[in-house]
Amino acid sequence: MMGILVDVTKCTGCERCVEACIEENDLDPVKAQVDRAVTKDGLSANRFLSVPQVAEGRFVRMSCMHCLEPICVSACLVGGLTKSPEGPVVYDPEKCIGCRYCMLACPFHIPRYQWGDTTPLVRKCSMCLQRLQHGQVPACVEACPEEVLKFGDRGALLKEAHDLIAAGRGRYLPRVWGEHEFGGTSVLYISDVDLGVMGWPEPAAESIPSLTEPLIAKTPFIGLGVMSSLLGINWVIQRRIRLAGEREREGRSS
Amino acid sequence: MMERTRGLKDLLWALALAGLVAGGFRLWFGLGATTALTDHVPWGLWKIFNMVAGVAISTSGFTVGFLVYVLGLERFRPLMKPAILVAFLGYGCSCLALLFDIGLPWRFWHPFLMWNEHSFLFEVFWCVSLYFTVTTIELAPLVLERLRAEKAVRFLHRIAFWVVVVGISLSSLHHSSLGSLFLVTPQRLHALWYTPLLPLLFIVSAMGAGIMFVILVRILHAHWYDREAVFGPTRVERELILMRSPGRKEVEEGARAAGPEMPMLTALASIGTGILAIWLILQVVALAMDGSWQALLAGSWESWLYGVELFVTAALPLLLVWLPATRGSPTAMGVAAFSASAGLMLNRMNVGIFGYFRDAGEIYFPTLAEWALSLGVVAAAALVFLYFTESMPIFRSTREEGRAAPLFGVSFDSLSRVWYRALRSGVERATVIGVFVLPLAWAFMYPPFHREEAPAVTPAFGMDVARTSLRIDGNRGGVDTEFPHAEHKERLGGDSSCVTCHHISLPGDETTPCSRCHRHLVEPTLIFDHDLHVAKVAEKEELKGVFPENHSCVLCHTGGGSKTAANAKPCLECHKEDTRWEEEYGESDELSWAVSYLEAMHTNCADCHAEKAEEAKRPGLGDCATCHGSLSPRVLPAGAAPRGSTSPPA
Repeated sequence: MMGILVDVTKCTGCERCVEACIEENDLDPVKAQVDRAVTKDGLSANRFLSVPQVAEGRFVRMSCMHCLEPICVSACLVGGLTKSPEGPVVYDPEKCIGCRYCMLACPFHIPRYQWGDTTPLVRKCSMCLQRLQHGQVPACVEACPEEVLKFGDRGALLKEAHDLIAAGRGRYLPRVWGEHEFGGTSVLYISDVDLGVMGWPEPAAESIPSLTEPLIAKTPFIGLGVMSSLLGINWVIQRRIRLAGEREREGRSS
Repeated sequence: MMERTRGLKDLLWALALAGLVAGGFRLWFGLGATTALTDHVPWGLWKIFNMVAGVAISTSGFTVGFLVYVLGLERFRPLMKPAILVAFLGYGCSCLALLFDIGLPWRFWHPFLMWNEHSFLFEVFWCVSLYFTVTTIELAPLVLERLRAEKAVRFLHRIAFWVVVVGISLSSLHHSSLGSLFLVTPQRLHALWYTPLLPLLFIVSAMGAGIMFVILVRILHAHWYDREAVFGPTRVERELILMRSPGRKEVEEGARAAGPEMPMLTALASIGTGILAIWLILQVVALAMDGSWQALLAGSWESWLYGVELFVTAALPLLLVWLPATRGSPTAMGVAAFSASAGLMLNRMNVGIFGYFRDAGEIYFPTLAEWALSLGVVAAAALVFLYFTESMPIFRSTREEGRAAPLFGVSFDSLSRVWYRALRSGVERATVIGVFVLPLAWAFMYPPFHREEAPAVTPAFGMDVARTSLRIDGNRGGVDTEFPHAEHKERLGGDSSCVTCHHISLPGDETTPCSRCHRHLVEPTLIFDHDLHVAKVAEKEELKGVFPENHSCVLCHTGGGSKTAANAKPCLECHKEDTRWEEEYGESDELSWAVSYLEAMHTNCADCHAEKAEEAKRPGLGDCATCHGSLSPRVLPAGAAPRGSTSPPA
C-alpha cells in the first residue's frame, strides 16, 4: 500500500505540483486558473489539487486523502469507486450515473462535479495510478522542488514521519494527520500548525464505513424478519377471527 | 362538480407545464445551468424534496395495507385504494424527478447490473424499484376491471395478501435506509440531526406522517367531491332534515355533526399521531444519547428550525387529534393532517439540505427551474390522481356526476344573445393555460437569460467627433453633463497639457479616457489588473512551464510568506516613466485604487468652478445647476446622491 507524506513546514506554496497535476491529467489550464480564483479551496472538476494557505506562511497540499476505508467507495451504488491495491481510490467514469452521493459522503469534500457539462462526471485525484503502474511516482511528488512530498510504502512513511517528529524537537506538532483519522489515510501530513481547517477530525474518529456497513449487512435479515413476523401476526389474527366465528355459530345452533 | 375543481386543476396544469419547461432546460443545458447545486451542496431540492421526502410521505400504501390485510382491521378498507394510489403516484413522481436529478439519466439502469451491496443508496434503489412494482400490481385490478380482464383480476385478488406482505417488508427496509443514507456524514451533518437512530427515526416518522397524509388526501378529496361523507350535511341540508324529523339530537347539535366517514378517519388519525408521538420520544432519546441537546440550547437558526419541525410534525397534530375540543372535527383533522405532512417534508429537508449548510459554508437556494420541476412533477401526479378518482371507484363514495361535465361547452349567452364556446374540456383549458405558462416559464428559466454576468464597467459616455466637448455620464444612466474639452485643452496649454488631467500617460495613448480608471459613478474602482501583470511579467522574463505565470509571483511579491498586496512591490518601482503620480502623491501606495467618477469629477470640476466663480464675480458658476441643469431633459434627478454618498443615484 503506497502513500504520500506531506511536510507542511517545507511547502512554499509555489503550486508546481498543481501545474504538474494539470499536465498529467490533461486538464484545461485556463479553466483551472479561473477555478483557482473563484472556488474557496481551489479544488474543482478542472483542478484536482490545490495548495491553500492554512496559516501565515503555511501552505498545504490538498487533494484526495485516499482513505484506507473510503466512505465514497462504500457509498457509490454502482461500485464506480474502488480502493486499488496500490493505494489510490480510483473512479470509473463508465459506471457512474451521476447521483453525487460520493460528493455528499466525503468528509473532505474532495470529489468534484463537472457542473457545466451536459454529460457530467465526477473528477478527483487518482494518485496517478497510471504512473504508479509504470513504476513512476505521482506527478505532484515528482514536480515538488522543495521535497515537501515523499512517495513510498505507507508503513515506511509513517515510521519516517514519527522519526522526523522525534528528531525535530518541537519543529513539528506531535501528530501525524492521516495515521488514525477515519481509519487512516494514504496521504499523511506532518505540520507545525493545526490542520483542522482542512476538515481533519479528532484522531479518534472511526472509519465511516464501520458505522454503516455492519448495519447494511443486516438488511436481508431485517427484511426476512419483518416478513415472517407479518405472517405470524396475520396467522394469529386470522385464527382468532375464525375461532370467534365458530364460537358464534355454535352459540347460535345450541 | 366539475366547477369546484376547475381552479385547482388549472393551477396544477400551470405548474406541470412550467415543470415540463424546466425539465427540458435541465436536459438540454445540464445541471449546472439550471440548478443552484455546488460541489459543497451536491444534493438539493430534487433529491431531498422529491425523492427522500416524496417517498416518505407515500408510506400509506404499506401502513394501511398492514392495518387491513395483516391486522384484519376491515373498517379501514375504504382507504386501501386511495392509499395504494398515493403510494404508486408518490413513488412514480419521485423516480421521475430523480431521473432529472442524476447527472447521466440514460444510465439509470446501471444499479440493476452493477452492484455495490455495501451502499445504502443501492439498497434504496432496489427496494424503491421493487416497491414501485408492488404498487403497480396492487393498482392493476382497478385498470383491469375497466378492461374486463376478469381472470387477471381474480388472480391478482388471490395473491393480494402476499403482494402486500412483500410490499411491507420492502418498505420497512428502504424507509429506514433513506435515513441511513445520511449516516455516512458524521462530520458534515449538523449535530441536531445526525444521530445513529436516523434509520429508526425515518421509518417511524414516515409511517406516522404517511397515515396523516392519506387522511389529508381523503379530506381534500371530500372538500372537492363529496363533502357530506366527511364534513356531514351542510347547514341547508341539516335544516331540511330537521324539518322532516325534528328532535334528531345529533343533527341539532350542528357543528359537531360530521360525516359518516369521520369516526373511521379519527381512529386512523389516532394511530397516525400515536406513531408520531413515538417518533417524538425517539427524537428526545436521540438528543440525549449523544449530547446534541446542547446544540439545541445554542439558539442557532438550526435549533429553531429543529423546534419548529418537532412542533409541526408531531406536537400540533397530537393536540388537534387528541384534545376533546377539536377531536372529531373535520377541519381540525384536516389541519392536523396537513401539519404532520408538512412537518415530515420539513424534517427531510432539514436532514438533507439545511443540516449541511454549516459544514458547506454556503447557503443553497434552489433556482426557479428547480422549484418548477419539483412542484411540476407533484402537480402532474395530482392531476393523474384526480383522473383516477374521477374515472374509477377509488373512493367508495365518489359520485358518478364527478365526471358528468359536457365535452363541448357551446351555449347561448342570454345577455349578449350570441353563441359562445366556454372552455369546458380539460384539453382546451390546458391548452389555454399552456399558451400563458409556457412562454413565461421559458422567459423566466431559459438559462442563457439568467447567466450571471461579470460586473460591467461603466465607461464615460462617448465624445463628439471633433472632441470639442464631451458628455460625461458615469453610469450610463442618462444623467450626463457637458464638458468643454477643447476649451480646457487650449486654456491649459495645448497638446502637452493632457497629462495635467489624465494622470496616467500610457505608452501610445496620450489622452487616456476618464473611464479607464474611474469606472463607477460612486464606487472606487480597482484599476490594478493582476492577471495582466502576471502574464506580462512572465512574457518579459521569458519564464517557462505550463504556467510560466506561476513562476513570476516572487518577482513582485518579494516579501515571502503569503502573497498579498501588502508585500508586493510598489507600482512606482516599475512604472516611474508611465505616471506623473510620483510628483503629486510621492511614494503613496494608493495607486491601485481609482476614486469614483463622482469624486474625481467633483474634485476636478467643482473645485475649479468655485475658484473661477470668485474670480469672475459670478457666484452662480459654482452651483450644481451650472452643469447638471443645462442639459434638459437629461438633468440630475431630484434626490440624486450628493457628493461623497455611497449609493448610486436613481
